[in-house]
Amino acid sequence: MAETNSQFPRSLEGVRESLGQQSGSNRALLLMAPLLAFELLVFVVPFFILLRISFAEESSDLVYAEGTWTLEAYSSVLTSDLLWSIVGFSFLLGVVVTVLSVLIGLFYAYAIWRSTGLVKSLLLFSVVLPLLTTLVIRTYAFNPLLAPSGTLNELLLSLGLISSPIQFVPGTVGVVVGQLYIVLPYAVLAIYSVLATMDWHVVEAARDLGASRPRSVLEVVVPQAMPGIIVAAVISFAWSVGAYAAPDLLSGNITFAMQVEGLMLSDMRYPLAAAFSVVMLLLMLASIAIMFTLLNRLGGEFELA
Amino acid sequence: MSSNLRRERLETAAFRAGYLALLALMLLPLLVVVVTSFSGTGRLAFPPESYSLMWYVEFLDSVRWLDAFTNSIVIGVGTALVATLLGVMGAFGQEIDDGSLGSILAPLVLIPLLIPPVILGITLLMYFNEVGLRGSYASIVLAHTLWATPLVYFVMRSVFSRFDWQQLDAAQDLGAGPVQSFVHVVLPNVKHGIFVGGLLAFIISLQEFVMALFLSTPSTETIPVLAWTEIRQALDPMVSVVSTFLIVISVVGILLAVVATNLEWLSKQLS
Repeated sequence: MAETNSQFPRSLEGVRESLGQQSGSNRALLLMAPLLAFELLVFVVPFFILLRISFAEESSDLVYAEGTWTLEAYSSVLTSDLLWSIVGFSFLLGVVVTVLSVLIGLFYAYAIWRSTGLVKSLLLFSVVLPLLTTLVIRTYAFNPLLAPSGTLNELLLSLGLISSPIQFVPGTVGVVVGQLYIVLPYAVLAIYSVLATMDWHVVEAARDLGASRPRSVLEVVVPQAMPGIIVAAVISFAWSVGAYAAPDLLSGNITFAMQVEGLMLSDMRYPLAAAFSVVMLLLMLASIAIMFTLLNRLGGEFELA
Repeated sequence: MSSNLRRERLETAAFRAGYLALLALMLLPLLVVVVTSFSGTGRLAFPPESYSLMWYVEFLDSVRWLDAFTNSIVIGVGTALVATLLGVMGAFGQEIDDGSLGSILAPLVLIPLLIPPVILGITLLMYFNEVGLRGSYASIVLAHTLWATPLVYFVMRSVFSRFDWQQLDAAQDLGAGPVQSFVHVVLPNVKHGIFVGGLLAFIISLQEFVMALFLSTPSTETIPVLAWTEIRQALDPMVSVVSTFLIVISVVGILLAVVATNLEWLSKQLS
């Protein structure tokens, strides 16, 4: 807080001096200055510090050795088989959850778009309510449902579909379901916000011209919803790759976020944690760029067809 | 023709069954939380073996949970105030801005939402260590503001874009100062938007836990952080009690926001 406040008068003075009495833009800059100062001080500067610490040497008594420059942390990240397998699992989780989240999100958003009245409100409510409850709650509820002695297994056993309980939790099924539940509301809303601006008559026209219903959705709705689908995919992917709560509670495997938390809070190896974060962030940015290009091309092709 | 009709009817039925099943699945985990909070035993099972209010009694007796509740409220209100102030001013400034500074503001405000909270938590923990804010309420408020501000900002952008700016010019032509004209002309038209933005910021802060986990100390831990540490030790229905309170707060929040936005709509229709 103190930084934001002390920064504010200074930038305010600077704005006044440089712009003189041009009142309109002067006032605009003055109004935006606190937000800019905040983003600079609480977001941009901290990332440069993270970057700096990733190049520092480890130290036995402090969390890192100040004023040192080394690539040690990066070389230990890049040569560690353990860390690469963790990265692999994180990305696998990210891809699987993203695909499911976009497909189910598209279906659910379409259902919201097509429904009216009470059903529409109920469907929207079912998306917004989980969004507003904490990750912790959204995740642990799957434990009594999916555990070997949980509700689903008991149901399947009593129906005679399985002979012995299946361990969904802790396991890959559990973590995928849990993480999907975390990101799905965002995906639905991102796609729905685009669909809401769309004209239903276009789809109707396609059907009048003989397109079947699945085909009209695939060739008319999907391309137009592409901006929403891209946002949904990027959000689902970014948050699932960096997932922390769901893997920790529901999975037997370790993800990037859990590993880096251990490095930070238990082992106090700041440079290694910082370097691992930087590498992960770069890998994520690269994957998002690839995903963005692919989806954009997909949308473009559909438009031409 | 009739086979076509039958197929369409099948498709409609499958479509409806699909989204109703999803609806049930979306609400199921929340139902599990609320129902298990009334459990009569120490085992977290759904449906519970017996029902009682014992975990609610225990919650009200627990100093640690009540402290965490206070912390959550303090941090939530702090986040709502800072994020609303920054977001409203920023969006208003961008609305009357004619320069290019505004165009870098939107992406800059948005990016923090796309970065995994664990990375943000690490980054801010290192930073607050450097500047000596570690362990304070302010560190968590600032971290949560990073996530809450984009929401306030984008809500206000859409609210301001619907405002008739000639009213502001008219007020200023009539001799009102910048502050006076904002308070008397702009504010009455956008106050519901500000309320919804602030409410969203409060709820974001109330539910956020990864950044809070990194930044909090035992004296500043919030409800989700305490819930998390408890869950990792033992899964008992106490967590469900706390979660039920959080769900109720969120539902009340949604209702308030719906009322506020409908009032806004209503006042537009009447004027």
